[in-house]
Amino acid sequence: MPHLEIKNLVKKYGDFTAVKDVSFAVEQGEFVVMVGPSGCGKSTLLRSIAGLEEISSGEICINGRDISRDEPSDRGVAMVFQNYALYPHMTVRQNMGFALKIAGAPKREVNEAVERAAAILRIQEQLDKRPKALSGGQKQRVAIGRAITRSPDVFLFDEPLSNLDAALRSQMRIELGRLHTELGATMVYVTHDQTEAMTMASRIVVLHDGIIEQIGTPLDLYNEPHNRFVAGFLGSPRMNFIEARAEQSREGMVSVSAPGLDGSLRIKLKAGADAPAPGEKVTVGVRPEAFGEHDAGGWTIKGSIAVIESLGRETLVYLDGGQVRATDSESHEGYFAVHRTRQITARHGDGLTVTVDPNAVFLFGPDDETIAFPQSHHSIIHNQV
Amino acid sequence: MGSRFRFVNVVLYGAVSLWSLFVLLPLVWMVIASSKTRREIFLDPLGLPAQFRLDAFERAWSVGMGTFLFNSAIITFFSVIVIVVVSGMAAYVLARSDNKWMQLVYLMIVAGFAVPVQAVLVPLFQMVSEAGMLNSRAAIVLPYAAYGVPFTTILFYAFFLDFPRELEEAARLDGCGRLQIFFRIILPLSGPAIASAAIFQAVFIWNEFVLALLMLTKPALKTLPVGILQLTGEFTADWPAIMAGLSIAVLPILLIFILAQKYFVRSLAGLGK
Repeated sequence: MPHLEIKNLVKKYGDFTAVKDVSFAVEQGEFVVMVGPSGCGKSTLLRSIAGLEEISSGEICINGRDISRDEPSDRGVAMVFQNYALYPHMTVRQNMGFALKIAGAPKREVNEAVERAAAILRIQEQLDKRPKALSGGQKQRVAIGRAITRSPDVFLFDEPLSNLDAALRSQMRIELGRLHTELGATMVYVTHDQTEAMTMASRIVVLHDGIIEQIGTPLDLYNEPHNRFVAGFLGSPRMNFIEARAEQSREGMVSVSAPGLDGSLRIKLKAGADAPAPGEKVTVGVRPEAFGEHDAGGWTIKGSIAVIESLGRETLVYLDGGQVRATDSESHEGYFAVHRTRQITARHGDGLTVTVDPNAVFLFGPDDETIAFPQSHHSIIHNQV
Repeated sequence: MGSRFRFVNVVLYGAVSLWSLFVLLPLVWMVIASSKTRREIFLDPLGLPAQFRLDAFERAWSVGMGTFLFNSAIITFFSVIVIVVVSGMAAYVLARSDNKWMQLVYLMIVAGFAVPVQAVLVPLFQMVSEAGMLNSRAAIVLPYAAYGVPFTTILFYAFFLDFPRELEEAARLDGCGRLQIFFRIILPLSGPAIASAAIFQAVFIWNEFVLALLMLTKPALKTLPVGILQLTGEFTADWPAIMAGLSIAVLPILLIFILAQKYFVRSLAGLGK
């Protein structure tokens, strides 16, 4: 039996449907991240689980019990808010123990629970301070501590790191990962940041316009996205898309051509995929790291460097392909994002040639469904460090 | 800093200074007049007294200022409590409701603000009289509260609209019901709004005259403004004693205002959203 199960959940605001018939299940101890652009319904979904939004129809079950009409405090969930939502007139200790106090737990029990949570989060020294005296990171720790004190069945996180600066954010990501392992708790986490989703999730739920686009492990979603939206959403810099047209297809292979690029790309379709009819619009997707340097029987893009970002151990180059443009690109200017795992000394305006290997690209059909995956995934190494 | 900026500053400060004088001079005159003789007040209204004397304060105190002071304090205290609790809870519900009928209720409360006391004096007196409450403190506390609620509701409403909802949501998840959220989370964090509402109403109630005159005829229950009236007779009035009585009456409220003016100004500045 799944630990948390959402069945056919619908949430309407008047005529607007924010969540459209969403169903998924979370197993005990999973860290599920719901990710999507703003307005995709992810926060509404989380708030519905918490009981802060009344759902229009559907069911939410925890341990097999339908909780969708229960009061928030009776659902066995605890939530960490984006703005911490600590009570300013109470000390950290009172903040963390408030739920147990309201539930009528004896003082000793409240104190023990607070001390235990404070030890896990290493905030024992802050217990008698007011929230105002804490830094952003400390406040977020207290907010998490408040959730831990209640020992809930499910932890809910609503973009908890978005108010922190970059350094603190990556530190808290690691901390949350540690916490998840240590508590073995079921966690549902909402973010619009795909890095957070990729780094922390056991499984990711990608939401778009109130529906689930895909559910899977971070690498599943990265390597085999169901459609162009998921492919574009995960990965940073995002995938490069090239608008193309299908030519003839034969024996599970399709040839595509794009204006401004010489020759056609012969791509192997995934099993069971419908071949696009000749002349139909398709999209070729190339991950920034999949651009080659030597001709592999595909396209060659000659261009100049528009922007170069040297990160030390890796280099990102934004390539101006002249007439050949990437659609829907990271830079919004049609530049191709190229990733290299080494240092490159080049400057703005320098020439650069990259190749597109037909075995290293994604192909999206006219309806944006994925019809071809790269033939050679980046070699995945199991349990070897 | 241009000369234009300096000119604007001079005009602004000049205007504010004039206004301050306009407000403060009567107060100063009141205090000075309380140590004059009746003759001096009429012959030389703007001059200083020939001799500084406190006997007017003695005369004022002897008609029962102590009792009046106590009555005013009790009545003001309970009226303000009722006003703050009632309008706080009402404003919270109104600020959190999307129901359009609730908006209508809010409009009606605001409209109540526009009804002058004098217009409903007679029916109000009849109601209080029929209820058998004449010459009781409730006879004055309840009408005061009723008159204070609209303005305070508007004040709290504006404050609650800006109150961070996440705190209420966190409290719901922590197991608080509506009332617990209000009394444990909202009220403790509404200090500035409560302070300004309380001062505003306290000043009004402390100074209120007409209703108190009508409802309270027993000397033991009279409030300060009505009590001070005893110093005037049919043909003559003890003006120095009246001024002394007024000076005593003004002092407590002035002290409270000076101590809490920070809150008062802050919350009025947020009004009108």
